Parts: sequence; C-alpha cells; structure tokens
Amino acid sequence: MTPTLTPRRYGAVNWIALWTLYRKEVRRFLAVGTQTVLAPMVTTLLFLAIFVLAMGHSVELVGGVPYMEFLAPGLIMMAMTQNAFANASSSLMIAKIQGNIVDLLMPPLSALEITLGLALGGLTRGLVVGVATAAAIWLFVPLQVSHLLPLLFYGVMASLMLAQLGIIAGIYAEKFDHMAAVTNFIITPLAFLSGTFYSTARLPEFGQILAHLNPFFYMIDGFRYGFIGHADGSLLLGALALTTVNAALLLANYLSFERGSRLKA
Amino acid sequence: MMPAIPTHSGRLRRFGAVNWLGLFTLTRRETSRGLKDYNYQILGPVVSSLLYLAVFHLAIRTVGGDNGSNADLLDFIAPGLIIFVACEKAFENACGSFIFDKHERVMADLLMAPLSSIERVCGYLAGACLAGFAVGLAVALITLFFAELSLVQPVALVFFAIMGAMMHGLIGILVGIWAEKWDSYAAVHTFLLLPLSFLSGLFYRVENLPTLAQELVRLNPVFYIIDGFRFGMTGTGSSNPWVGAVVLLLVNAGLFTLAHAWFRRGYRLKP
Repeated sequence: MTPTLTPRRYGAVNWIALWTLYRKEVRRFLAVGTQTVLAPMVTTLLFLAIFVLAMGHSVELVGGVPYMEFLAPGLIMMAMTQNAFANASSSLMIAKIQGNIVDLLMPPLSALEITLGLALGGLTRGLVVGVATAAAIWLFVPLQVSHLLPLLFYGVMASLMLAQLGIIAGIYAEKFDHMAAVTNFIITPLAFLSGTFYSTARLPEFGQILAHLNPFFYMIDGFRYGFIGHADGSLLLGALALTTVNAALLLANYLSFERGSRLKA
Repeated sequence: MMPAIPTHSGRLRRFGAVNWLGLFTLTRRETSRGLKDYNYQILGPVVSSLLYLAVFHLAIRTVGGDNGSNADLLDFIAPGLIIFVACEKAFENACGSFIFDKHERVMADLLMAPLSSIERVCGYLAGACLAGFAVGLAVALITLFFAELSLVQPVALVFFAIMGAMMHGLIGILVGIWAEKWDSYAAVHTFLLLPLSFLSGLFYRVENLPTLAQELVRLNPVFYIIDGFRFGMTGTGSSNPWVGAVVLLLVNAGLFTLAHAWFRRGYRLKP
C-alpha cells in the first residue's frame, strides 16, 4: 500500500516557513560574529575614545549629564541601526548576486512572511549589536537606565525601520557599489548629523529645524531619553513618526514582494 | 628540412634590466581601477571626511565650552583626516585588487606577464599610492573651505605622505596576497588599521593623554605618519620628525622586503 502524499496544511500564516526564514537570517550573521557583532563593538569604542579625548576636559554638562554619558546612547543606537540595515540589505543583495534568491521566492512564503522574516532578522541583529555595544561601553561609561519602556520602544522601532529600509535598498541595488553609495551618502550622513555627537538644542534656530527633519534625530533622542532622562525634542512626535514610518515601510515592502518587482522575472 | 630559426625574432619585445612598459602598465591598471568609479571611490571618502569635520565643528560649537581651548580643533584635525583618507585608500586599493583578482580568477594573467617580483611590488605599490594621493588631494581641496590649511614644511609633507601611503599600500599587498575572502580585508581594516589610526592622535593631541598612553602611542607607526604630515602642514608636531622618518623608513623597508619575498616565492598566488 503506498502512503498518500498530501501537501502540508497550514492556516493563514505558514509559521514553519516564517520561522525558518527568520532563523536563516539570524544564523547568517551569527556565523560571522567577528564582523557583525565584534566589529561594531570595536568601532563604537573607538568613536567614544576619539570624541572624549578630542573634546578634552573643557566640555560642559550636556542635557544635565557629562558628555560621555550623553554620547554613549547615540553611539549604541548608531551601531544598532547600521547593523539592522546591513543585515537585511546584504542578505537580499548577496542572494541576488549569487542567484539563490529563487530559494526565497519559490517556497510557500507569502509576501508578508518574506517581509517579516527579513525585517525581524535585521531587528534581531540590531538588538544583539545594541546589547553587545552597550556592554562594551558600560566598561567605560557608567550607563544607567532611567526609563526602560521608551528605551525598548525606540530601540526596537529604530532597528525595525532600518531593517525595512535595508530591504528596500536590497531590492533596488544591483551592485555592491549601489549599496555602498546608499550607506555612504544617505545612511551615514543622517546618522552622523543626528545629534549623537552634539546637542541639537544648542544649535541656532535654523539648524534646529533642519535637525528635526532628520528621522535619526528622533530615534537617538528618544533612545537617549531612556538612559539619561532628558530629551532635546518631542518624545511623542518621535514615537508617532517612527510608528507611521514603520507601518508605511511594511506596506511598501509587502507590495513590492507581492509584485515581485526587480526580483521575479 | 627544418626551417632555420631566425636569430632575430621580430615579435619579441626586448627590454633591459627593468621592464618599464610592464611596470607602467601595471601601475596604470592599479591606479585606474581604484579611481574609475569616481562617484563612489572619490566622493565617498570626501563625504565621510566632511562628516567628521561637520560633527566635530558642531560638537565644539554646542558642547565645547567657552574657554576656547577647542577653537582650533578643526585646523588640528584637518591634516590628519587628509592623510588618513589617503592611507585608507592606498590600503583598500592594493588589498582589494588581489582579493578581486583571486575571486574573478584573473590572477594568472598577472602572474604570466613578464614582470620581476620587484617590478610587481613597485607596480602595485605605485598604483595604491597614486590612488591614495588622488583621494587625499580631493579631500584637501574640499577641506580648504572649512579649515585653515597651511604648508610650512613642504618636503616633510611630501615625505610623510609617501611614507604613509607606502606603508598602507604594502600592508594592503601583504593582506591581499594572504587573504582568500573579503572577510579578511574587513577584519584587518576594523581590528588593526582603524584602531591604529584612530588611537594615533588623529583627532586629539597626544599630550592630553596619560603618560603611559603617550608611551604606547609612540610605539604606533601610524602616529608618526599623522604627526609628520601635520608637521609638514603646520610646522609643529608632538614628536621629533626625524624619529618618525627613521621609524617609517625601517617599517617600510621591512614590509617591502617581505612583499618582495612573497612574490618571489609565489606565496599563496602560484600553485
């Protein structure tokens, strides 16, 4: 008697496939932990060192705390966002170049499941890097958590947003050069000019307006509030902006996987 | 009857002790592969140097205090940034070339060319240095708008620029020969060169460090590159430029000898 071969049945969500994709995304970066976790720790500590040493002892209190404590949360956030972006974008990019993108498109994964799998993978790398860099910084700077909820909210939302932007970049870029251009000319400038290294509250009025147009400002400001209990901008506005942008990106990525633009023939 | 082999084959190019045409071709290939996509390869470093200047400028303006001790920090950082960017480019150019050629499997074409091992080192190195100087010059021109740049000791400036680019180019050649994957390139960059550069007085005066740290910095060859280059621009430095010159000459001679020996043996390049 031959066994009857029937397709696996599942409900609205193919949980096994989603979990498998997510696990693949996480294992992909953990396999090269030196580059994906240790490297951001080293770079973050280097940034901390050069800014603290360059600014010297003449630095005033910023937002009621010493410059080092003001600087540290922004550095952690920068590492988190850059890595969340890199995970999703490089995963798609390499799959396209190596030709194994079909292995993502062929399995019974819906467009939403692909988006979520990639975005959550990026989010996980962001959070892992965040914890690792915070631990490294904590050796030198007495970091204290004053508001846990905003800290977690901003940490998760910011990583998620950059992971989703990484998906867009991964879909559109055709060469590593394109990806380097997006990182060099968009992501890094926005991150550098976000008020990590300086206080936007003390810029001239026009500078403040410009600074407040940068989404990275809200991420870092809100995240820093979780540590030092002081924010330069409006927390509510930041939370609303991050939620809206994340929702819009989710929709955009869902639609683009649904249509298969630039991925399917 | 066998045809007589002509004593003078018209097809063989003859050259003396040095294959100048081959050396020049390798140099030109190396330089142009590092600069042809100028959007990424020149504009990228220019943008990141401007970001460093902008961030430091804003940090001084908003949290730097009123006592003015940080007022000339930008003029201090600018020379360091220029030589830092040039050195990074020299390393990237040499190292990337090898890894790329290995991946694309065109290394045989380079190994077959009638070049001696010393010509190979010189060709790769000259290409790396020229690409580095091009990027450094671009950064210097842009920096002129934002910081005071002077030229007090032009000979020292040129000497330390060459020594710095050479050192990074040679490290790039060695890592490129040794490496199989881009991971090795990234690891050497993140865990060796970036810390050496960032902790070498690029952004701060080493006099502000504790005594032990000052002693450690003086063991870092990159410190002498940056300090010497800054001496060439401003006429003042944190160390004796002659000491720096000797250290860098020794380091470069050592690296050059090693690179030459590796090419000669075909280490990791020939089966």
